[in-house]
Amino acid sequence: MNRKKGDKGFESPRPYKLTHQVVCINNINFQRRSVVGYVELTIFPTVANLNRIKLNSKQCRIYRVRVNDLEAAFIYNDPTLEVCHHESKQRNLNYFSNAYAAAVSAVDPDAGNGELCIKVPSELWKHVDELKVLKVHINFSLDQPKGGLHFVVPNMEGSMAERGAHVFSCGYQNSTRFWFPCVDSYSELCTWKLEYTVDAAMVAVSNGDLVETVYTHDMRKKTFHYMLTIPTAASNISLAIGPFEILVDPYMHEVTHFCLPQLLPLLKHTTSYLHEVFEFYEEILTCRYPYSCFKTVFIDEAYVEVAAYASMSIFSTNLLHSAMIIDETPLTRRCLAQALAQQFFGCFISRMSWSDEWVLKGISGYIYGLWMKKTFGVNEYRHWIKQELDQIVAYELKTGGVLLHPIFGGGKEKDNPASHLHFSIKHPHTLSWEYYTMFQCKAHLVMRLIENRISMEFMLQVFNKLLSLASTASSQKFQSHMWSQMLVSTSGFLKSISNVSGKDIQPLIKQWVDQSGVVKFYGSFAFNRKRNVLELEIKQDYTSPGTQKYVGPLKVTVQELDGSFNHTLQIEENSLKHDIPCHSKSRRNKKKKIPLMNGEEVDMDLSAMDADSPLLWIRIDPDMSVLRKVEFEQSDFMWQYQLRYERDVVAQEEAILALEKFPTPASRLALTDILEQEQCFYRVRMLACFCLAKIANSMVSTWTGPPAMKSLFTRMFCCKTCPNIVKTNNFMNFQSYFLQKTMPVAMALLRDVHNLCPKEVLMFILDLIKYNDNRKNKFSDNYYRAELIDALANSVTPAVSVNNEVRTLDNLNPDVRLILEEITRFLNMEKLLPSYRHTITVSCLKAIRVLQKNGHVPSDPALFKSYAEYGHFVDVRIAALEAVVDYTKVDRSYEELQWLLTMVHNDPVPYIRHKILDMLTKNPPFTKNMESPLCNEALVDQLWKLMNSGTSHDWRLRCGAVDLYFTLFGLSRPSCLPLPELGLVLNLKEKKAVLNPTIIPESVVNPQEPVASANNHGQSVGFQSTEDDHLVKETASSISGHQQGVKRKADMPLGSPLEPGQILEKNEDSKVKLKIRFSNPQEEEEIDMDTVHDSQAFIYHHLNMLERPSTPGKEQSSGEITMHPVVAAPLSVFSKESNSSKHSDHHHHHHHEHKKKKKKHKHKHKHKHKHDSKEKEKDPFSFSNSPASARSIRSPSLSD
Amino acid sequence: MLQSYVSEIGRSAKSYCEHTARTQPTLSDIVVTLVEMGFNVETLPAYAKRSQRMVITAPPVTNQPVTPKALTAGQNKPHPSHIPGHFPEFPDPHTYIKTPTYREPVSDYQVLREKAASQRRDVERALTRFMAKTGETQSLFKDDVSTFPLIAARPFTVPYLTALLPSELEMQQMEETDSSEQDDQTDTENLPLHITTDDSGPEKENASVLQQNTSLSGSRNGEENMIDNPYLRPVKKPKIRRKK
Repeated sequence: MNRKKGDKGFESPRPYKLTHQVVCINNINFQRRSVVGYVELTIFPTVANLNRIKLNSKQCRIYRVRVNDLEAAFIYNDPTLEVCHHESKQRNLNYFSNAYAAAVSAVDPDAGNGELCIKVPSELWKHVDELKVLKVHINFSLDQPKGGLHFVVPNMEGSMAERGAHVFSCGYQNSTRFWFPCVDSYSELCTWKLEYTVDAAMVAVSNGDLVETVYTHDMRKKTFHYMLTIPTAASNISLAIGPFEILVDPYMHEVTHFCLPQLLPLLKHTTSYLHEVFEFYEEILTCRYPYSCFKTVFIDEAYVEVAAYASMSIFSTNLLHSAMIIDETPLTRRCLAQALAQQFFGCFISRMSWSDEWVLKGISGYIYGLWMKKTFGVNEYRHWIKQELDQIVAYELKTGGVLLHPIFGGGKEKDNPASHLHFSIKHPHTLSWEYYTMFQCKAHLVMRLIENRISMEFMLQVFNKLLSLASTASSQKFQSHMWSQMLVSTSGFLKSISNVSGKDIQPLIKQWVDQSGVVKFYGSFAFNRKRNVLELEIKQDYTSPGTQKYVGPLKVTVQELDGSFNHTLQIEENSLKHDIPCHSKSRRNKKKKIPLMNGEEVDMDLSAMDADSPLLWIRIDPDMSVLRKVEFEQSDFMWQYQLRYERDVVAQEEAILALEKFPTPASRLALTDILEQEQCFYRVRMLACFCLAKIANSMVSTWTGPPAMKSLFTRMFCCKTCPNIVKTNNFMNFQSYFLQKTMPVAMALLRDVHNLCPKEVLMFILDLIKYNDNRKNKFSDNYYRAELIDALANSVTPAVSVNNEVRTLDNLNPDVRLILEEITRFLNMEKLLPSYRHTITVSCLKAIRVLQKNGHVPSDPALFKSYAEYGHFVDVRIAALEAVVDYTKVDRSYEELQWLLTMVHNDPVPYIRHKILDMLTKNPPFTKNMESPLCNEALVDQLWKLMNSGTSHDWRLRCGAVDLYFTLFGLSRPSCLPLPELGLVLNLKEKKAVLNPTIIPESVVNPQEPVASANNHGQSVGFQSTEDDHLVKETASSISGHQQGVKRKADMPLGSPLEPGQILEKNEDSKVKLKIRFSNPQEEEEIDMDTVHDSQAFIYHHLNMLERPSTPGKEQSSGEITMHPVVAAPLSVFSKESNSSKHSDHHHHHHHEHKKKKKKHKHKHKHKHKHDSKEKEKDPFSFSNSPASARSIRSPSLSD
Repeated sequence: MLQSYVSEIGRSAKSYCEHTARTQPTLSDIVVTLVEMGFNVETLPAYAKRSQRMVITAPPVTNQPVTPKALTAGQNKPHPSHIPGHFPEFPDPHTYIKTPTYREPVSDYQVLREKAASQRRDVERALTRFMAKTGETQSLFKDDVSTFPLIAARPFTVPYLTALLPSELEMQQMEETDSSEQDDQTDTENLPLHITTDDSGPEKENASVLQQNTSLSGSRNGEENMIDNPYLRPVKKPKIRRKK
């Protein structure tokens, strides 16, 4: 079987095979942020008539290309620089996404494409025909790269080394092309020779073995020579140069750690754990670490926290921590373990194509999970799995599904498996970042499902097999064609699973890998006393987006009086009800202990349960062996039993969440008991805190005793003699540390009958802050103090304001004054004694924003803006930016939005740029169905420009911009855009005509023309002569033809939920004028359009008068059809607020008879148009596929 | 008459006894008195042994009401060894023991904490106010800049250093707690040491930390010389052939 796989091997999309590549960077200039170097690729043609070599390269300036020492001509063409070339008024996201996918695939190395096309000199053709080796030598330079390589140059005195200046490679997926020309594919493996000449005070860290370090002649620089003999994809090549401090791992001498100056003590502590991770992976995989060395580099301004490359990983320097820090330690260890897992699967074993990515991410995520289980325990592991599962379920239900293994049959977009998304999933570079995160999450969950199916032993055998095949292959010389064994593919992986385990997992793969969506179960039950049978009803929702139908086994665990029993139900098409026989008769022997699942026997107080039923609790799919969401109904006492006695943390967490709906004293008692139980998992106890707060709020009128958790906290953490004073900090017991941190935060959420935070609670928290004493503690209390500030923020309730008075100091609520005092002091103390990662500043900024939002403090972004500046610690900046984003939303501030967008453009840190877009997407200033003064044409243009050309250097950023655009404006043309030229576009897929923003020409005769054009160009342009317009339209018409080539999914809604009342009121005037216009089109100049809104309203009226049916637009390419001018109007309204077919129905009632005729008239044209566009489609399509702009043809250099 | 006779006997007996420089009259004093008063002493025994004498019964012993002791406070202190036992006992303790007045012992800890907390708070507030007064500030309220002055945010050239490295205070604390963890006895010995470092100010502290670092790295280097790691190998001199 394997042999077969090997025989089939991997078919390269390229007409040649790369065997070896040299990368030599001669000069790095930190001042100018430039890099000069050359690459030399050794390639073997695999076809005789190879005359063009396509390589990937972005940003690089290419001076000269030589093939076997002969000058070669080359063309450099990068269509992704500007996705949509023409200055069209095209502003719809569908169009963009398709164009972007087309652009990416035009240079996709996995399809054999590339930005750089080298012509093999004719002298060599004969040589090529004999399939002899070619050496392609490319001289290039990089000047101020915006992506791919990131320079960090602190602005201070001293040499670059003294300043701690450094540079490192970064990027999302295969991004190596940003810093040197290569075949930027995970499937093209070759051996490497890497040379970097750097300042003598610097160290260059790269992949493979450092062979030697040699001074240059002037002794001021040195050259690092690296050899990587294991075949590696260019995408896994990386570089980090800086004045690093070097630490050889004391346990494993082949492992070297690097960090920035002064951080060595932290580095020592942080990496002291790494060898254990090594040991763990090597043991479970029964395979040695594949590379001869490993390097970890910790750098500032990291692109991502963890980036794994062949034999080295690049981490954010912010992961470093000292022994005093509790919270960061597990997080950092996780990052280290993650990076190491990817060394095996991701770096050493690479993938054949993008659709096989899930295997790599799945395996590395899965073994990382195993590590986690071993290191942090089963509870933590199960908690993590549940968390990941909840996340993926929520995401899929929100967006409509994550597909692990997309298959693109025939390249037709009709088969687009992800039509519910606003981006293409055909390429990693078009994916939304969030989608990709969820993709990885799903991948490892599916691996776990496979493990459930075939057992862990087999699973590890499969991994071992993949690794050992790869390592034999890696030691082979190229000619043996064995290297493709180092690439994993979905089919190869599945084959070795079936070989090793002999089990058929095809249904599982089909369900979760080849298909997107999760399962949604609704469960309820009844107990039939006569038959002693549990009648379980399990329904599924498989119609809403992101869901799928599940058919197969489902485990149900029933805890009865006599013990816990597992039942496997067969979920089938039509069976909803399942009868499960019960083992125990309802309580006869009361005194007996009740056996649990894990064999434990416990005494329970059974008084709460139903006397007739032996059921204590029921769990559906307790092992999380389906990617599902379960909503199960059982009574409150059952949840309470489940919380108290079920030993699985997942069950406990589920029970806690369910109990939120049952605010009763019994729930309160169950939660309090859990809180007090020391053996209980600390995360469950933390969750219980929040649930208890919610319950307390729901039963506020009947609550007795002190505020929830107060006495508990007092008992656990306060002095015995004086209960109002907290003990001096001692965080030796981490569980109670986490609980101590969380309880005040949860308590602050308590509210009294007036919906205010009880004074008692506030004073209690203030006392905690006051008496906090960390002098005797071994650990830092910065996270604890930060959470106390969070608690203060949680206690804030909206200010009672009279007539929106201006917030001044005088009318400040006394409680708020106390809070503000603390915040001020904390924030100021941070300046003098900064805390680790400035956690306290972060919490203070958040708290201030809460105060602003609740109207206690005047809302003002100035403070946040100053903290968001470059030069603050990244966490602080993010917190400040989050506040500004929130301000932008609440105060609808155009100025702040502009400020944020400028930062997206200009900020030196890629992560910040990405994060701003991310935060704007998550907390948008407005959405597509919302009226907002912010939503205007300038903004649309700005964002369009941002994603079209402004972010070409960073895939992640571009996709972030696309996400934001989608959130703000939806898929179709933004509603705030003024009237575009009328357009009617056919949706070929759905076989219907819809309105499309494509610009469609209108005849000059059209008496409405000037109005339309005025709308089109907005206020800035104003009216133009009809002549000009005509020209504009003509160009536009050719464009539109072109655009139709790229087929789009036009799901643009036909109606619009514009509130008619509102605008009607506003625009009485235009209504009148409109009427005039109808009677006499010549007078339309009289209509003055003051604002965009006016014009929209104006248009809206047109609509009201006109029949406004499904498709008022029409195309008129030949120019002979004269359409009624008014028809032009609907468009912007259409796009305005999208969707509501109701609306159009509504219009029918008002419409006059004669309009209906028009409608029919239009329908005729629809068909006509269909033909037109189909004809037109042909030629422009080919054109559009080969991107037209950004093309620079260089003649070969004549030097030498 | 009997009364005067008897009191005369007593008076003269006392005189006789005082005459002989004694305080307590003895039998002989009474005999001499009786003789002086003309009483035949020799008849007295016979009279006492007369047959029909009248026996006067002793008056019934009435329990004398116990007079309350004159306020004893505590037990009398026993003699210390150097005072012979025959010496009089110590007087009641209340006469010489002084009882200083304490506040309630329970509140002791509380007050301490309270004091420490408020002291720290005052120091912090004063310090931050001072910093705010002397430097740039930001304010949450437009109309009032002094009530809640925030020290203006100032960007760092290398932001990660301050964010990641523990502050000197924390380092010092860590050393203290570490040593106290290791050995309680050394803690007390260390205490004066720490105080001296405190006095010498941050520079010295820094220097010592640096020294520690260099010594550490020195020892590391020594260790690593044995480790064959490519990054520790000496940098080679350029080869001549490369000059071409």
